[in-house]
Amino acid sequence: MYVVRLFVPGWRPGCPGQFALLQREPSAVFLPRAFSLHGQAPDEVSFLISPLGAGTEELVEVETGDVVWVLGPLGRGFPLDSLAPASRGRLVIVAGGAGVAPFPLLIESLATLDAIPPPTVVVLGFRDAIQAECLETFTAPVAALRARGGDVRLDVICEDGSLGRVGMVTDLLADELRSGDVVAACGAQAMCEAVWQICRQRACPAWFSLEAGMACGVGSCQGCVISMADGSLARVCREGPVFAGEAAFGGRGHPCAAPRSRA
Amino acid sequence: MTAPKELIVDLTVNLGPLRLAHPLINASGTLDLFDAAESLDPTMLVEPPVAAYVPKTVTLQPRGGNEPPRILETAGGMLNSIGLPNRGIESFVEEDLPRLLALPCPLILSVGGFGAEEYGQLAARLRRALDALQPGWVTRIGLELNVSCPNVHSGCISIGTDPAETRAAVAGARGAWPGLLVVKLTPNIGDIVPVARAAVEAGAGALALVNTFKGLALDRVTLRPFLGGVTGGLSGPAIKPLALRFVHEVAQEIDVPLVGMGGVASVRDVLDFLACGATVVAVGAAGFRDPWLPARLATELAAELRGRGWSLRDVVGRAHR
Repeated sequence: MYVVRLFVPGWRPGCPGQFALLQREPSAVFLPRAFSLHGQAPDEVSFLISPLGAGTEELVEVETGDVVWVLGPLGRGFPLDSLAPASRGRLVIVAGGAGVAPFPLLIESLATLDAIPPPTVVVLGFRDAIQAECLETFTAPVAALRARGGDVRLDVICEDGSLGRVGMVTDLLADELRSGDVVAACGAQAMCEAVWQICRQRACPAWFSLEAGMACGVGSCQGCVISMADGSLARVCREGPVFAGEAAFGGRGHPCAAPRSRA
Repeated sequence: MTAPKELIVDLTVNLGPLRLAHPLINASGTLDLFDAAESLDPTMLVEPPVAAYVPKTVTLQPRGGNEPPRILETAGGMLNSIGLPNRGIESFVEEDLPRLLALPCPLILSVGGFGAEEYGQLAARLRRALDALQPGWVTRIGLELNVSCPNVHSGCISIGTDPAETRAAVAGARGAWPGLLVVKLTPNIGDIVPVARAAVEAGAGALALVNTFKGLALDRVTLRPFLGGVTGGLSGPAIKPLALRFVHEVAQEIDVPLVGMGGVASVRDVLDFLACGATVVAVGAAGFRDPWLPARLATELAAELRGRGWSLRDVVGRAHR
């Protein structure tokens, strides 16, 4: 995974969980790709990008002076008010692989809240230690939150055991989560559904940043819809990308479910 | 101070009774101006990036649209199987029409039917609403008859592949609609000219061509159809030469203003469609990436014409001369 920092004069800062569409100019692909906002500074925004195909490969290869098309910030991010509850419950952040992308910004935002930040536990799952190198992007936000008196703990697990425990992020979550916690999660569909099952068992409200193939990012094309628990369809780009677990998954799914596939 | 005369390029065009500031509009279903404005820039509603705005096709009954996944990028374009989701004509009239009428540009409303008779019903309902909301609307509002959506499995596309059905649909709308009728044609047909001719004979004041090309893509792991709707409509630069051929062919045979579209992404594409006989050019899938693209292409078109010392008239139909 690569952090791609872009100079965007006049960038209107977005909320954690919002996203932008990016495409290198010129590009070998037709559509831009959607990425969670990962970091922001005046006139600057950064993204955590895994090279998975032509569109992402050309983005991680950009060099100083290259031009990137940026459309954003877009969509609805994490509801900060709900994640920092007055009840002093903990915030548990759960992410797998590239799903860590929105959370440095979320932690940074908690540090700027007027209210005292909630005790925060961050559980992260990676394939291996190489993928886990993106952990360093948490260092500054976590320090900022601690400087505000926030109590933050980070726990990591790797599928191959090359860093931290051996296993999946849901193993960490199952040990960690208790009633009264609030969860913010991002990762593969199967991970999100498994996380939701654990949250449901312990009656913890949870918010998920979900993804879908996208064309416009603003609601025009209606191409990125996913089916909600009540059978309705929601545009990931407009109604999401952050959805309440109850709305997105409800009583569906199974801790071991594969990504939903069509018959 | 006025600009020197040779620098002024007049881009205004007439599409029947509609007067457009320039020839660039959007293809139906590819730009939701209200969603885009809310997401990106509220001034899009004050200064729309299109010379006329074409909202998404509306049907008599509400439709949820097709099952996801609905889109897939392909070489030089994308496949979509959206399936005309919309809230139905009553909700459109109540909720969408007033805010559409508040836009500062001409409108080309788009309707789709599941039988020829539905086009007349849709046109009548819109006319009734417009008569009440905006007297004198005929010079500002046109009606696109979408007889060519490839992603609904009854009506619509089958109407547009049959000259008699097309004639009936257009005639029905003609009887109910005193303004401009634009019939949007499908390219999923051997010979487009008989359908185009039937549409014009039944009262179409303009033709829009083309809708998307029906295609298929598989999931690369499962090797089963990727899209929830199995097949989808192909759009993007991949289809431009195919679309251009249809515009060229129809322009040669039928004397009616054309709205050309299919893979338009650059000013070169705009010139090509104009030269093949289009009066107006619509941006479709390329506008997903950049919703301001039509306005930018209009600016580039002016610069291109200025550079060549041409007027718009010198370009339109040039490929036929």
